[in-house]
Amino acid sequence: MNKRLLQQVVRLVLVFAGINVIWYLAFLLMNHPILPSPLTVYRAMFELGAGNIALNVGYSLMRIFAGVAVALVLGLLVGLLMGRSPLWNRLLDPVVYLTYPVPKIALLPVVMLFFGLGETSKILMIMLILLFQVIISVRDGVKAIPASTYDVLTSIGANAAQKFWNVTLPGALSVILSTIRISLGTAISVLFFTEIYGTEHGMGFFIMDAWLRLDYPEMYAGIMLFSLVGFVLFLLVDLLDYKFMKWRNQ
Amino acid sequence: MSSSKTNVNSSGLCVKDLQVEYNNGQPALGKVNFILPEHGIYTVIGPSGSGKSTLLRAVAGLLPDYAGQLLFNGKAVQDKETLIGLVPQNYGLLPWKTVRANIRTALRIARPAISDKQEVESRIQRWLTSMGISELAGRYPLSLSGGQQQRVAIARAFAIMPTILLLDEPFSALDAITREALQVLFLEHWLAHPVTALFVTHDVEEAILLGQQIIILPASKEETPDIVDNRAVFGMKHEDKRSSEDFFEQTKRIRKVMREKW
Repeated sequence: MNKRLLQQVVRLVLVFAGINVIWYLAFLLMNHPILPSPLTVYRAMFELGAGNIALNVGYSLMRIFAGVAVALVLGLLVGLLMGRSPLWNRLLDPVVYLTYPVPKIALLPVVMLFFGLGETSKILMIMLILLFQVIISVRDGVKAIPASTYDVLTSIGANAAQKFWNVTLPGALSVILSTIRISLGTAISVLFFTEIYGTEHGMGFFIMDAWLRLDYPEMYAGIMLFSLVGFVLFLLVDLLDYKFMKWRNQ
Repeated sequence: MSSSKTNVNSSGLCVKDLQVEYNNGQPALGKVNFILPEHGIYTVIGPSGSGKSTLLRAVAGLLPDYAGQLLFNGKAVQDKETLIGLVPQNYGLLPWKTVRANIRTALRIARPAISDKQEVESRIQRWLTSMGISELAGRYPLSLSGGQQQRVAIARAFAIMPTILLLDEPFSALDAITREALQVLFLEHWLAHPVTALFVTHDVEEAILLGQQIIILPASKEETPDIVDNRAVFGMKHEDKRSSEDFFEQTKRIRKVMREKW
């Protein structure tokens, strides 16, 4: 396990180094201020100061976490309802079917009209992106648990909550995790758009602000940091997957 | 066996006029009557589709709808006080929990009165040891063989000390050697802790080896099940059973019923 982990890390470092080399070559070829050298960008990143970085990264992370959390709670509730009760599934299925293909990013102006430019609409947008995916995957995940999985617990008199914690949730968790992994990319993109407006913190604001000031090294530094945020989130999902999905890969 | 002979007030598990239908109205289980005395063990044998599992599921409280009465010591089996231990054919272990956690979950739900953590853990350890699987405590079910998983399922069923133990073809997915080893193991534990048990099987030998009485379900839902007294074989030492005259006679007897009714 440790050896595999090490190999994985080495591979990631090599890819990262490779990207930097290509970047540097491109910088040499272009020789234009719109593409600064990686060294300049990293220097700019260091000059930003830890407090400044932490503030912007922290705001972005906070919005993503809040959006994901709300989407998970709501999605779990609705998905469970649809997975366990055929009646609710019949009622809600057309609703989900109809709203699922609506590009949620197009709702950004609507959400901002209704909820203003503040935190609520930012978190709401991320929530909207994730919610329908979570609903559908929870529903299908719950349906995929064989009915016999509940038998032993039912026969010893388990109540609904005990069945939920011991069977339904862990049974659907693998689908939930892969859904989060897939929709996280979209959620981060949407975060960028929402952070263009009505805030002075967050990675989206930071990048756009540097762009408008024509401070390209800082803009690239912002893009690198934003990518780092995405990478950390992916690692986190992987970590959760490793912790809760041990039973599959033993 | 006529229904009038079934006295609802007797002790043990009383199955009276039990009948189950599928959702489409087809009979899933014909009329069944028997009394399984407390601390007794009966085996149920029958062809596929005769309702063996349905009978067990009805007693386990897994069927919402059935006709007739299911009583234990005069009270409905669905009563809170009647604790059911179930050992299904697919072992029924939760794949996302370790062996130890599987038993712990069952204990917590079935016996909430045992609040002392150490008591719970020591009881789990005791049963794992007696089933010979203490070294598997931290493993996940998917990494275990069928025989090992079934040991866990049996350990779990005994650990909760159920009022009624129900086994649904527990050994049918196992190879012959593992099956025989587990039959011995199961019987040893049952003799040490004689819980009221109903054991469904499709294996004639297994039915004779493990049951004080053998309930033979017919293929037709109209006919009544035969109940064969098997105390003579059951009382022998396990290793002597197979070679005994009684065992041979019993096999012939059951096969005769099978020829006529299956």
